[in-house]
Amino acid sequence: MSVLAAQGLTVTLGRGVEAIPVLRDLSFRVGAGRVLGLVGESGAGKSMVGRAIAGNLPGTFAVSAGTLTFDGEDLVRIAPARRLALLGDRICFIPQEPQTALNPLMTVAAQFGEHLARLGVAKADRPARILAALDSVRLRDPASLLDRYPFQLSGGMCQRVLIAMAFASRPALIIADEPTTALDVSTQAHVVQLIRALQADYGTALLFITHDLRLAARVCDEMLVLYAGEMAERGPARAVMGAPRHPYTRSLKASNPTLSGPLRRLVSLPDQMPGIGSLRALPGCRFAPRCPVADAACGAAVPGVIEIGGGQAVRCAPGCLAGAIATDAAGLAMPAVVASGAAPILLLEGVSKHYPGRRAWHGRRAPGVDAVCDVSLDVAPGEFVGIVGESGSGKSTLARLVMGLERPSAGRIVVDGTDVTAADRGARIVRLGALQMVFQDPQSALNPRRSVARLVTQALEAADRPHDASDRIARAQELLRETGLPPDLLQRFPSQLSGGQKQRVNIARALCVTPRLLVADEIVSGLDVSVQAQILNLLLDLRQEFGFALLLISHDLAVVRYLCSRVLVMHHGAVVESGEVAKVFADPRHAYTRSLLASIPPDDAAAAWPAAAPRAAEPV
Amino acid sequence: MIARMAASPRVVLGAALVLALALVALFAPVIAPHDPAEQDLMYTLLPPAWAAGGEALYPFGTDSLGRCMLSRLIHGTRVALYVAVVAAFGAMLLGTTLALIGGYCGGRVDWLIGRAVDVWMAFPPVVLALILLVGLGTGVNMVIIAIIVIDWTRFCRVIRSEVLVVMKRDYIPAARLSGFSHVQVVLREVLPAVTPLVVTLLSLEMGIAVIVEATMSFVGLSVEADVAAWGVMIADARQFMNQSPWGVVLPMLAIFLAVFAFNLLGDGLRRTLDPRLMVARGPAA
Repeated sequence: MSVLAAQGLTVTLGRGVEAIPVLRDLSFRVGAGRVLGLVGESGAGKSMVGRAIAGNLPGTFAVSAGTLTFDGEDLVRIAPARRLALLGDRICFIPQEPQTALNPLMTVAAQFGEHLARLGVAKADRPARILAALDSVRLRDPASLLDRYPFQLSGGMCQRVLIAMAFASRPALIIADEPTTALDVSTQAHVVQLIRALQADYGTALLFITHDLRLAARVCDEMLVLYAGEMAERGPARAVMGAPRHPYTRSLKASNPTLSGPLRRLVSLPDQMPGIGSLRALPGCRFAPRCPVADAACGAAVPGVIEIGGGQAVRCAPGCLAGAIATDAAGLAMPAVVASGAAPILLLEGVSKHYPGRRAWHGRRAPGVDAVCDVSLDVAPGEFVGIVGESGSGKSTLARLVMGLERPSAGRIVVDGTDVTAADRGARIVRLGALQMVFQDPQSALNPRRSVARLVTQALEAADRPHDASDRIARAQELLRETGLPPDLLQRFPSQLSGGQKQRVNIARALCVTPRLLVADEIVSGLDVSVQAQILNLLLDLRQEFGFALLLISHDLAVVRYLCSRVLVMHHGAVVESGEVAKVFADPRHAYTRSLLASIPPDDAAAAWPAAAPRAAEPV
Repeated sequence: MIARMAASPRVVLGAALVLALALVALFAPVIAPHDPAEQDLMYTLLPPAWAAGGEALYPFGTDSLGRCMLSRLIHGTRVALYVAVVAAFGAMLLGTTLALIGGYCGGRVDWLIGRAVDVWMAFPPVVLALILLVGLGTGVNMVIIAIIVIDWTRFCRVIRSEVLVVMKRDYIPAARLSGFSHVQVVLREVLPAVTPLVVTLLSLEMGIAVIVEATMSFVGLSVEADVAAWGVMIADARQFMNQSPWGVVLPMLAIFLAVFAFNLLGDGLRRTLDPRLMVARGPAA
């Protein structure tokens, strides 16, 4: 008996002959006490499923076919009042952004009380119910939280409060839409564990929406992989993760950098998932244009669902399942690490950055923040060095110090043999000649009023680099070619580019004056896995061509492992561990590094995770 | 951008009205049926031609000295638009420059400019204008200086906050790292981002300048008494309001029309150029 069953669910945009099926013929079921994962990259339509259940589809979207049966009632055709009665009581949601999901002007007790009032809990019983619920999500000292406002809690704590609210009515179904995406990795492990434990205790059916295939394999019983609003593959989570059959699932797995095993070149699918506007042009298999094994027939007709056995099924042409993905076996050609005797391109000695606190109206300054304390590192020419740490560990401040956007409060920074600590005119010239930075968010780093041609060559505009218009266009064409962008993008503006294209433009701009060291701050964190693989491979290819060194700042250990030969682990502004990537990851010495590694779902689907509650002391 | 502006009825209507006023001002001697100073004492305080007792010779009637109302209104447009354009541009240049300096430099410079704006805005503007005109002497150019000195704060405050928003974007440090000097960053990265707002404020400021000029010429602090200006016309006709209300009503309508045109244009530009409103209504796709 399933709690929720979708049968041929189709959501279309628009009406009549103009209608575009955004979700096409989706069927799944989730039983009591079971967890179904909806997995896909952004644009796959996974959140659309959640919104269809809530009856909260955006204006011009509508369910045009199929049923969504919850407990014997069809949610597609249910009376609005009845649906309203179900939502928040029998069907509950855990949102993606915990801190924005809570009203910032209401205390925890007031918000929780409001929810309980709606559930019909008598006023006198509410305080006890709230305390019990907060206790059940393992928040320490729940009584002290009651009068706090959401901004006084960490993201993890907010998410726990929301989880407690979701489970308060013992609902039959919970929909968790990317519940850990906004949280740090170590918090993610705790929150996921908590959701699973509560769900198992109460026998709740859970629909777990995520972009992370590895996480889904750990959390879910069954998994449904979506691509462009269509099922690609479904089956038992571990089977899908362990032996994916659909070309998309296989590519997705192979484009995820791993934390163990031999380094292979990541499979990077061309382009990206089609947007809603281009779905009309894809009458057949929507994955066909990017599929490594597709033939002409795939694009013509929608393939049927093939049952493989063991509950696993794919929507794919029978001939394609056998075809190997060409790049599957290609090893990673790691360039020989540079001669160790070479003078470092970047040298940091005991660099610290202290932000003084605000001076109070009367009296003393508040204590300041040590964003970076006593960090020393060196980068040899051509070497890729990674810096990992969670948010607030000071890794972005370190990048700004290196680039001269901030001045260190102590220590010495040497670029290419010249001391640039002073950040004066001379130091600026040295930096401009040797360093470039790729910013985290291309949306913010690319001036929306500049065309791609004027963006990638903006370094030529600076006063000391005379140029003429034809030189500039030629250089722009060269840069687009090197970063794998089609030449017809030259006159486009950033708002007309996809996320991956924007990040390529961002990288192309940094390469314009061929730097010797590239500082990259979280450059793949906002990208989908298949696009991330493209960018990571691009950096490896560009390294072959230009031989620059890279200081890669990331929260993702697997990305650092894939690109870098050395790694520094930062925690609260200080480097707690550093060394060869292989050594640090295989045999972490510092407790923080160990907990960081333990909080990532292992590649091996059979291994236990989270391993024996990492860092139980941390209040999250 | 141009296409989107052309699609907005506010912008089209406002721009058409402003353009019409500009043409009237430019070709005033050609259009006006009479010399604005020419007195015809046979016909004083005539009502407009369509009212009872009107004369076809004077379409909008005459004032107490028998001067043609229409010709005076047409010539008054010159004074109004001259003040509107020069004063608004002056206030814009001063206010925007200080806003860019304050917003870009931050720290003490920004603090100093911000407090100067606060103090400035605390003065009642009319009193400040009167004090300034007493000190500077009267005349239409003095009115312009007074408007600039008083109203630069409008530009400075609004544009500074927009500069601060732009400064948060990563493309500002990215431009510095590309080798841009500070001046280059301000002129090529910051200024283009605030230009839509500057244009909008400029248009609204022109409407304000028209009112201020009319007020000042009403109290006799602007143009000479024999120059045709809307404020002067209201002041002259005020004494005969009971016999001939048209002498007050017509220049008031002229002021209304000019301010309405500038405000409509400004509001339309704000709606078409503000990216936040654009997102709210969504692009065509």
